[in-house]
Amino acid sequence: MRALEEPLPREQPGLLHSTPVAALATLAAAWALAFAALPEPATRVVGLAVAHGALLGTALAWTAAGAGRARWSPLEAALVLGAAAAGAALHPLGALAYAAVPAWLVWRHAAWLGARAWRPVPAVAAGAAFGLLLGAHLLVNTALTFGYRVRTGPLVELANWWAYDLGANVLTAELFFRGALFERIYRRWSFAPAAAISTAAAIARYLADPLLPHSPEIAAGATFYMAVLGVGNCWLLARTGSLGPALAAAGFFFGAYRLLAPR
Amino acid sequence: MALLIGLALAAITLAIAHSGADAASLWRHAYHVPVVVAALRYGVGGVLAALAAVLLFAPFVLPALEREGLTPAVLEGLLTFGLLLGVGVLSAALAGGARRQRTRYDTLAAVQRALDGDTPLDLALARLRACLQARLDATVGLVLHDGTRLAVAGGPSVARGSAVARVLASGAPLCVAHAGGPGPLRRSFVAPLGGRGGVVGAVAVERAGDIPADERRWLPVLAAHLGLALENARLAARQRRFADELAEKVTAATRHVVEMDRMKSEFVAIASHELRTPLTALQGFSELLVMRRFTPAELARIGAIMSAETERLGRIVSDFLDLARLERGLAPPLRLTRVDAAALVGEAVEVLRRARTTHELEVDCPQALPPIDADPDALDRVVKNLVSNAVKYSPAGSRVRVAARAQTGPPAVEITVEDEGPGIAEADRTRIFEPYYRTAAGARTAGGAGLGLAVVKSLVDAHGGTIRADNVMPHGTRMTLVLPAVS
Repeated sequence: MRALEEPLPREQPGLLHSTPVAALATLAAAWALAFAALPEPATRVVGLAVAHGALLGTALAWTAAGAGRARWSPLEAALVLGAAAAGAALHPLGALAYAAVPAWLVWRHAAWLGARAWRPVPAVAAGAAFGLLLGAHLLVNTALTFGYRVRTGPLVELANWWAYDLGANVLTAELFFRGALFERIYRRWSFAPAAAISTAAAIARYLADPLLPHSPEIAAGATFYMAVLGVGNCWLLARTGSLGPALAAAGFFFGAYRLLAPR
Repeated sequence: MALLIGLALAAITLAIAHSGADAASLWRHAYHVPVVVAALRYGVGGVLAALAAVLLFAPFVLPALEREGLTPAVLEGLLTFGLLLGVGVLSAALAGGARRQRTRYDTLAAVQRALDGDTPLDLALARLRACLQARLDATVGLVLHDGTRLAVAGGPSVARGSAVARVLASGAPLCVAHAGGPGPLRRSFVAPLGGRGGVVGAVAVERAGDIPADERRWLPVLAAHLGLALENARLAARQRRFADELAEKVTAATRHVVEMDRMKSEFVAIASHELRTPLTALQGFSELLVMRRFTPAELARIGAIMSAETERLGRIVSDFLDLARLERGLAPPLRLTRVDAAALVGEAVEVLRRARTTHELEVDCPQALPPIDADPDALDRVVKNLVSNAVKYSPAGSRVRVAARAQTGPPAVEITVEDEGPGIAEADRTRIFEPYYRTAAGARTAGGAGLGLAVVKSLVDAHGGTIRADNVMPHGTRMTLVLPAVS
């Protein structure tokens, strides 16, 4: 029993403790420079790399064992993501380069992933089922409400989206909003505020995403589904101590989301 | 039950679809039934059921909202969303609260049952721990200081710097999140157990996930109850122990009284016999003197016998008087004077040697013994009594050695009387100086009232000396008498 046998944990650090401020500032400066100097497609690549790199790098810095060990990880992550995004922009199959992101994570942060990622298998299956049900509901509901249809191709385009989701969108969101932000608040307070804050932050991130169509109906729907997905993933993480189920749920949900074909 | 709830939700959705898929369908109210059932059965399951109902009902409401705008039917559908979620949350909260309350009462009652009976502390703690773990759905640790040691249930010991150690030191409850390690985040809540002497222990509750605020408020109450219950159990156990000890003492005292009574009865019988023997002799000789004429030689012999018997009678009466004083807690009266122990021992043995011819009496007394302050008559009685006992309890013809020597250190004179009899059993050796006590072997082989050694001990004690009995090899008894000498 840990209360009897282990020394008291150290004092909880502040909520923003070990935030890689310098790396984030560098990324912000790079994005501003790109916005001012580069053409539209390049700006989009830099913006994607900066946004996802910031989320992923901050998640790694917050959860790294040694203070300062992952101080520059946002820059590393942004470089990897930027390369993948550039690949996706330059070639129809270039999005497969997003596979470099999880590969880089495994290479650089294998120990961290080993502790947090894909265990236990039944919980991952439950997370996948949750994501599938929510995604199916999204498809049915949007089809009935907005008349969206479910598309089955072109397969290359779908594969590109799925690669982006798995390598950047889902991975960075789950690692930051659940693995880092929720975890950090949950240690300090209880489940409800931790889930509420991390889910609200995740919703804000998706509402601000330029890839999401901007209309009140879509925003309302996105808020609803992201709230259910976010709280569900927080619950899965709190219950199992693993990010695997949350990654599976978000992966399958976004996989279904990419099947939507607007009118 | 979960499957039934799921089937009910699906059936209601199908009913709405078949009745025209209207956002204001009356079937929508039926969603409340599985939601409330789920809340009553699973607590937070009510919220999940409400969410599922909203998700299932949404495809009937949202398309209408998109098509027709905010019509009354759509408004009713949207209101149903709110009602379902509200009912789910509220009924889940109420059902969960009622369940928690019942669990708490059950826990308090179970704590009392676990501590019922005279159970050793470690076992009681283990029972309590099992009982609390089953009811709180958590890992539980219990620590209790029982005055001499820290009894721990739930771990080998209390680690230095642990949460429990902190609570034992501070007396304030503590909630800790244990980060790191595999599996979900675990939290511990540790509350102090209060007793009459302040903090007497702690209860630690540890589980994966949250320890809600209302549970954190209740756990110190449980800890106070536990502390009180353990204190009561400890006091009850102590009371039972005292009662058992008292009963044992009463039993022992009763046994002692019965034994004393038996010994006194036996003593009366023996004393009557002891008194009658010289009296019979005196009566017989006095009647002979009345009835017959005797020659001067015969008269001298009869006179000597009557004198000896009278002396014996006087000795028995003296013993009785000394015993009476002893039983009243009074020391025998002494007339202390400076005594030469060697001369006194030699004279006493010489008198007995003249009277007793059945044993070989040896005396080993150096002339240069330090003088002692003693009552010569009392000391004479002591020596004669010890030598008489040695003669009485050893076979005829055997040797009785009487020796005296000076002791260094605190100046003293040690007098020993050693026989070649069977010795004294270990169990009897401490009791032979008690009044009326006679060893089983002694009672069989020799007479006496069991007073001699008791009187000897009282006289030796009155002189500030000591006396003890030892067995000697190969067989025999040595009585050792030590009297303080004049320095």
